[in-house]
Amino acid sequence: MEIYLPIAEMPVNVLLIVGLGAAVGFLSGMFGVGGGFILTPFLMFWGIPPAVAVATQSPQIVASSVSGVVTHWRKGNVDFKMGGVLLTGGLGGSVIGIHLFNALKAAGQEDLFISLAYVIFLGSVGGLMMWESLQAVRQSGGDAPVSRRAAGAHHWVHGLPLKVRFHRSKLYISAIPPLLLGLLIGVLSVVMGVGGGFILVPAMIYLLRMPTSVVVGTSLFQVVFIGAFSTLLHAVTNQSVDAILAGLLIAGGVVGAQFGVRFGERLRSDWMRLCLAALLLMICVRLGVNLVWPPGNPYSVSVEALQ
Amino acid sequence: MLLGLLALLPDVQAEELAAGISRDKIEINSRFTGTDVAIFGSVEPAIGEVVLGDRSRDIIVVVRSDRLSRAVVRRKAPVGPVWVNTDMLAFDNVPEFYFVASSRPLAEIAEPAVLQQFQLGVQQVDTGPGFGGGHKAGEFREAFLASRLAQQLYSQHEGAVTFMSPTLFRTTLALPPNVPAGNLKVSVYAFKDGRITSSNAMTLFIDKTGIERALSDFSVREPLLYGLSAILVAVVSGLVAAALFRDRT
Repeated sequence: MEIYLPIAEMPVNVLLIVGLGAAVGFLSGMFGVGGGFILTPFLMFWGIPPAVAVATQSPQIVASSVSGVVTHWRKGNVDFKMGGVLLTGGLGGSVIGIHLFNALKAAGQEDLFISLAYVIFLGSVGGLMMWESLQAVRQSGGDAPVSRRAAGAHHWVHGLPLKVRFHRSKLYISAIPPLLLGLLIGVLSVVMGVGGGFILVPAMIYLLRMPTSVVVGTSLFQVVFIGAFSTLLHAVTNQSVDAILAGLLIAGGVVGAQFGVRFGERLRSDWMRLCLAALLLMICVRLGVNLVWPPGNPYSVSVEALQ
Repeated sequence: MLLGLLALLPDVQAEELAAGISRDKIEINSRFTGTDVAIFGSVEPAIGEVVLGDRSRDIIVVVRSDRLSRAVVRRKAPVGPVWVNTDMLAFDNVPEFYFVASSRPLAEIAEPAVLQQFQLGVQQVDTGPGFGGGHKAGEFREAFLASRLAQQLYSQHEGAVTFMSPTLFRTTLALPPNVPAGNLKVSVYAFKDGRITSSNAMTLFIDKTGIERALSDFSVREPLLYGLSAILVAVVSGLVAAALFRDRT
């Protein structure tokens, strides 16, 4: 069954797109990531113009994240206070990100920078996570949060001012590290065009030491806002959000997210970290190969409509 | 001098070229997956002219979009271990759609200069010299044309104009599913001895209808409202799904 897309100006197979939306929604509900880094390459592979693919994934991310975050919230797995602090930092970060992106664009190397940033972040985060979770799985630690430091062992983070109690995350820490983390995610999401969930989730687990169950819901909460902001930005500046394509992706995504949340719950947290690490490393390898492998056709053509 | 000028003029006794299209308006709705349009016509030889063979003239049909676009061609080269875009060339005002069909191979119908002047043939599409690039503009142009051919937005069909009688001809314009909306200009040229003896131009309207039209208009006229609506639909869908699946837990 084919349907014509008004903005992309081409027909697509309905079942294929709904299925893709469902698959990405599943990953989103399970891991707390937006899934844009998987969705965009797939859409472009099927001939959707890159501008439309990048813009249209945003409403899909909003929809599947809302679907997931509501379900997580009912189970008490969203730390709104932490989400709010991260978002505040993110806002500042996106302003810095816009300036950085323009500077890179002026230098003509934004493509290279984005690819390298992906490979470095995915590789290092995925690699560390893989190493840690493999050990956890071997020791069969179960649902305990990541290796808490021995009682009394003081971390420099604990010396920082502005201490806030995050009830849901069972943390009493300074607001500065989450603010800085939010800032970094804000910069990256603007420059790399992603929601940043795949960096945020590991960072909340390992740096902020939040319980894995709360991390996924809180990340989704943050991703909803980033997705909404990005939808508006693309709709206003490029008019490249395709409503029909978004509708199909959303239809699959919101349902997929529900199954993702439930599946994620049943998965032990060390196995969940292992799966996410594997996913990140897979994408890292794919991008890395693309960077290093001689391309079949060294030329690429992008066409922009005039007026 | 005078003889030279005379040679440039078309045949003194004008022939009659008439052409038509089976549809002059294509509506793109949600089920659009491409369509065929017949282009046909008749070309009567000049008065007193004797037609030898199975056709009176050679025919070239060109269809091109009014809508123009800017194409940026980039080339990757290895820098250290990684492949990066090192060179680029931009072509402004290239047609979004281009189709050419002819009764014989183009090279047999007319000289390259004539084909070039009227942009008859994919190789003759005027891309301009391009700007922002280095010295190998030709290779970038080839890469651009190859990508258009691969996407079926440009196509060339030599021998696809067929004669049903010495004067009646027809061909089929296969519009791909990704044809751009807007006007297509259909030009029919009659050739004799390598020169254009007459021509005819028509317009084919391609327009989105119904919901397709409403959505694309909305996205351009009210981008902020469109974006907000997209977010609203996304949020509501997410809430509905979360509510529907509530009992299954």
